[in-house]
Amino acid sequence: MSEPVTIKLDGREFEVKPGELVIKAAEDQGTYIPRFCWHRRMKPVGMCRMCLVEVDTGRGPMLITACTNEVVDGMAVDTQNDTVKKAQEAVLEFLLANHPLDCPVCDKGGECPLQDQAMAYGPGESRFVEIKRTFEKPIPISDLVLLDRERCILCARCTRFSEEISGDPLIEFQHRGNVTEVNTFPDHPFSSYFSGNTVQICPVGALTAKPYRFRARPWDLEMVESSSLYDPAHPRVSIHVSQNEILRLVGVDSEPVNQGWLSDKDRWGYEQVRSPNRLTTPLVRRGGDLKPVSWSEALDMVGNRFDLILEESGGQSIAVLGGANGTNEDAYALSRFARTALETNNVDCRTGDGPASHFVAATADRALISDLDSADTILVWGPDLKETHPTLYLRVRRAAQELAVKLVIIHPRETGLDDRATTVVRYRPGGGHDLLSSIEAGDHADLAEMLTGKVVAIVGQASLADAPELAESVAGFIRDRAATPRIMPLVERANTYGALDMGLSPDLLPGRVAYGAGQIEAWGEIPEDRGRDSASMLAGLQEEELRAVLLVGADPVGNSHDPTGAAEALEMAEYVVSIDTFLNDSNHFADVIFPAAGFSEQEGTVTNLEGRVQKVNEIIPAPGQARPDWAILDDLSSVMGKPMGLSSAALIAKEIAAVAPAYQGVTWDLLEWDARDGAVVPIEGSQPLTHIPVMVDGPKGPSAELLLHQARVMYDDGVRLRNCPSLHPLAPGPVALINPEDAKRLGARHDSPVKVVTSKGEGEFSARIDASTPPGVVFVPLNQPGAARLGSDPVVRVTVVT
Amino acid sequence: MVDHPTDSHSIDRYEATGGYVQAKRSVGMTRDELVETVKASGLLGRGGAAFSAGLKWSFLAPARPAYLVVNADESEPGTFKDRQLLERDPHQMVEGIIITSIANEVHHGFVYVRGEYAKPARRVQAAVDEAYAKGYLGKAIFGSDFDLEVTVHLGGGAYICGEETALINSLEGRRGEPRLKPPYFPAAKGLYMLPTIVNNVETVSNLPHILEMGVEKYKGLAHEADTGTFLMSLSGHVNKPGNYELAHGITWRELIYDIGGGIPDGKELKAWIPGGASAPWFVPEHLDLEITKEATAAAGSMLGSGAVVVMDETTCMVKAAERIVRFFSHESCGQCTPCREGTTWLEMILRRIEEGQGRPVDLDLAIGVSDGISIDLAWPPKMTTICPLGPSAVSPIKALKDYFRDEVQAHVDAGGCPL
Amino acid sequence: MSIWSQETQVRAKEIIARYPEKRSAVMPLLYLSMAEDGHLTDEGMEEVAEWVGLTPAQVYAVASFYTMYKRERTGKYLISCCTSISCMLLGGDDVLHAIEDESGVPHGETDEEGLVSVEHVECIGACGGAVAVQVNYELIEGVSPDKARELVRWLKKATPAAVNTDEMQELFGGVRSFDWGIRDEDGAVGPYPAFQPLGTTKSAGQS
Repeated sequence: MSEPVTIKLDGREFEVKPGELVIKAAEDQGTYIPRFCWHRRMKPVGMCRMCLVEVDTGRGPMLITACTNEVVDGMAVDTQNDTVKKAQEAVLEFLLANHPLDCPVCDKGGECPLQDQAMAYGPGESRFVEIKRTFEKPIPISDLVLLDRERCILCARCTRFSEEISGDPLIEFQHRGNVTEVNTFPDHPFSSYFSGNTVQICPVGALTAKPYRFRARPWDLEMVESSSLYDPAHPRVSIHVSQNEILRLVGVDSEPVNQGWLSDKDRWGYEQVRSPNRLTTPLVRRGGDLKPVSWSEALDMVGNRFDLILEESGGQSIAVLGGANGTNEDAYALSRFARTALETNNVDCRTGDGPASHFVAATADRALISDLDSADTILVWGPDLKETHPTLYLRVRRAAQELAVKLVIIHPRETGLDDRATTVVRYRPGGGHDLLSSIEAGDHADLAEMLTGKVVAIVGQASLADAPELAESVAGFIRDRAATPRIMPLVERANTYGALDMGLSPDLLPGRVAYGAGQIEAWGEIPEDRGRDSASMLAGLQEEELRAVLLVGADPVGNSHDPTGAAEALEMAEYVVSIDTFLNDSNHFADVIFPAAGFSEQEGTVTNLEGRVQKVNEIIPAPGQARPDWAILDDLSSVMGKPMGLSSAALIAKEIAAVAPAYQGVTWDLLEWDARDGAVVPIEGSQPLTHIPVMVDGPKGPSAELLLHQARVMYDDGVRLRNCPSLHPLAPGPVALINPEDAKRLGARHDSPVKVVTSKGEGEFSARIDASTPPGVVFVPLNQPGAARLGSDPVVRVTVVT
Repeated sequence: MVDHPTDSHSIDRYEATGGYVQAKRSVGMTRDELVETVKASGLLGRGGAAFSAGLKWSFLAPARPAYLVVNADESEPGTFKDRQLLERDPHQMVEGIIITSIANEVHHGFVYVRGEYAKPARRVQAAVDEAYAKGYLGKAIFGSDFDLEVTVHLGGGAYICGEETALINSLEGRRGEPRLKPPYFPAAKGLYMLPTIVNNVETVSNLPHILEMGVEKYKGLAHEADTGTFLMSLSGHVNKPGNYELAHGITWRELIYDIGGGIPDGKELKAWIPGGASAPWFVPEHLDLEITKEATAAAGSMLGSGAVVVMDETTCMVKAAERIVRFFSHESCGQCTPCREGTTWLEMILRRIEEGQGRPVDLDLAIGVSDGISIDLAWPPKMTTICPLGPSAVSPIKALKDYFRDEVQAHVDAGGCPL
Repeated sequence: MSIWSQETQVRAKEIIARYPEKRSAVMPLLYLSMAEDGHLTDEGMEEVAEWVGLTPAQVYAVASFYTMYKRERTGKYLISCCTSISCMLLGGDDVLHAIEDESGVPHGETDEEGLVSVEHVECIGACGGAVAVQVNYELIEGVSPDKARELVRWLKKATPAAVNTDEMQELFGGVRSFDWGIRDEDGAVGPYPAFQPLGTTKSAGQS
């Protein structure tokens, strides 16, 4: 830390951090300097000129922009003398000269920096009597964003965001001088996964979001802070509600996590919360149909049936799937319910893909998101972060672009980060272990050099064809290599990390304890046998070794890579109970369905991919009779005569803090007051389990001429997205991306129907000619509306349908 | 300017008159020697800012690679001196590039020629090609171990690219918007964020002569304050327009009446622009001032690009002012608010007055708008803008305010131009 | 899968090689694109974007900043009349009106045949030879309204394959900013600058 410097601010002396921008230093001392173009997360451009201050340069006083000049020792800054006031009034008068006075119908009205600053710093009246500049208004620049160029004050926040932060410069300044405008290239929409951020940071109403346009005035909104329900990094959001309806989400600047940014999915994915398709009453199957019944009837029915099955076949005949989409409190209640009421250790919050649970929950040298900023090298050998982990994508991008961190990308096709990578390595789907062996053998000398020092390895399943153990092997390799390794294992679904920490895996107990390594006093006796994971449970149901299944926010048919097998398992199951917010591809097999409360409808905590625990909050009531998972499970436990006594989420949180070692001391109080950005667990050495990742041999990659690469993309056909009218249409649908060379050979053109056949499935897809996919590889985005499931075997045949 | 052989642009002629001797000689010289020589010569940058060229070189940050960019984006209304240097003496500039590159350890130079200067650009490209063929450019120039590449770049039509940081942006394939200074001083963070020397054509073209004559002789060419000669482009209402190579220190009267041959048809002088369209105007009371940087600044204007535009008694000052303001409004890059909005507003006000729709308050309104671009219309300007383009548009308003208030009022009273 | 001719592709490669970073080649490539299509098309900008690794939006941002990248259909002869301060003082507006009147093309527009476009421009550095006019950026100095009319008639009648500055100066020019020296051999073939690296120069005698 270098010595503070002394500056004089409007005549008063302050000590400030050297190198700080004047605008920031002044703000930290309580002096607000007005601004439009400056944004603390982007490079200053000094364009709007609103932040002009006067500084004595030694060659006389000079007007400078506070957003582009750093403090120096002895600097005397005047933020409100006559010259500065004159400049501020002038800038505002200039900005308003061509700005329409349509505030009463502008979405920004009431929360508009231009409006506010015109009141505070403006001249009071305009001398501009000429005709204002006009543009056609508003024009849709994407499916989600509208542009009203008349209102634009050309602060370049949106254009800088798309170039500097999200890396898709699709909106730009066009023309020059007085007719300068922001726009897209003709007929090239602003199709960015991050477009909503430009709406949020627009200081006027030039960029507006279709889902929010004309829906509310800001002064009518209630708000509460929470975490997003899609991105496993858990970007912080502010939920804005009017009349018990969520109208928008706004990104909150949480330094260690999302720094203000949100993906469009995290921003607009709330639409499903208000979907008319939400489940609102308990449903029971009667004569083949699901019929509404009362809570007590449904609870009694399920409790009695579980009692009977337990009596006849014991807990090992019951399967418990899910729990990764709720809160930690929900997951904890489920974990306890399964082990104590259902007397089973067949619990799994995952769908049977990706790295082992011990590795995900308790790897040694686990990375923090903030480690990305200080790394020498970041290795991403896992999913395309832009598609699956948007917050990480932005942070890695920033590290590589602004902080000169070296970046290695290893992936079967081009990813969203390749343009910022120092080195990119491709491998064929299923060939991950072969590549790792060759790297270990020294085949990629340039990599060896980069994988020293502090290396953050972001590892996960890059392709469905990758063996699940590959990610852990990569982590093991990096641990052997790097002086300071930091490992970030990636899995999907919002709260998988929290669910694992609550013990929703056959080999884990709450608080990162290996199953069998401890007992929880409050729980009493729990089964000793090793439980089944989700794949084994589904297989067991299929083979009638298991009789009943409890699905908690789980849709194995819709979400697993073997939907046929999952459907067969549920069909064969004697008794299926579901707790969910929607009817989905799995729970339409259910005998009883309980309606669950969802995002923003209950309080609790969640844990993100670095182990950060954050508070989520309630602001609207759940629809109809829907209730939180934990409350349903607690009632069931009472009906079954094994009451858990979990009467509130707050109480559960206290129990977690008491019984889960890694969560000791993580209380709601802490998260609401002292740790608003969340608290990373374990808190100081309280984690009993440490998993040391090791390299293991994996299968040899297949050598067919054409191999299938399947991976998730941002928008898919998951039941929640299906209920987001703004987002679902953005899913690419059943498409097969083919390299131009292969396309030529196959005779496929853009949009040609092609038949894709694997050992596990086949279906018709629409061909996309795509240079980002290497020759010899066909890329099929997973879980698309109308798309057939193809299984995980990468050997594939593609023919053009004539 | 010396009389030119008609083929002065060819390498044979240039070499026959002593060309490239100084470049060859400079190969053996050190950075310090060259920088000190140029500093001592007092050579001032000829792009408009008139900053010591040697000092500018000495500020070049040590990181390498570094680049040289020759600013041949001559666009200041009234200015046409560089065009003559480019068309008629391209080798003189190429030789200057070699000297500058050696002095600054630069191995890639660019000549940014404005897009509308097609013939000058062709002449420069041809000269560069000839120099490559002779081994004066390219690998191991003059048989030394010094490599020097030169790329001739054509602009796209934007006055603002004459501003050195806008020029760098343009050369990087971006919009020609000026960069912020600080932090983007070209000497530290220039082309591709690397140390960069940006020199004007005329500045670079002076170098072979400074080396040839030696510092003392060069300095002796002119006034003690402003050394050496400089080019002035004389245009407008004068009998003998053209480029004149002059020693600093003559008076405006000598320039306009003796060298320029006076005003056509014996008309009276009304006003002149002493240093390109950006410069505040002078009126007959300034005729006996010496033409030096200091004297001009003291009188509230600048020599700028050396362009002198003379206006006779028949010229409507409102129309001339509107014409110049319109130029700056058209050429504003649009990135900063006061320039983008203010210049266009000024243009609207002046046009209204000229067309007879002026209101009595309009001159004061124009002054008020100007005040928001260049606080108090001070000289040198206290600008609210990123670059000096905005305040340049204020110069004609200042002239109306200081000397021609009555003429503006007459427009308002008459409901049109009274001239 | 370039939309450009082989020859243009070769030139594009050569031009990119002249710069340390390929983005710097945007401006010359935009001229190449104009030379291919007669003006700057959307497809042309997309092609340039491919070559230099930018998005089309970024290329458009650059192209639209400058006045010489014509995104509308432009005539074989682009007549640019200077009306900036020095030329204005000596009758630039009259010369412009003469050109508009004689050609029937208002400034900013192109005739139906695609032969002549007319524009007024800011200072083109020929103030000592006001009024200055350019055809395809080839200069004529000291132009009077009458001579301007003759120039328009000549272009329409003779339809030269390439326009040459010295030839036009001789036929239609007057006072010059300075002595031009010996004749320039090159001519311009379209509404973009004639410059060796762009392959847009043509000997005046060539047809």
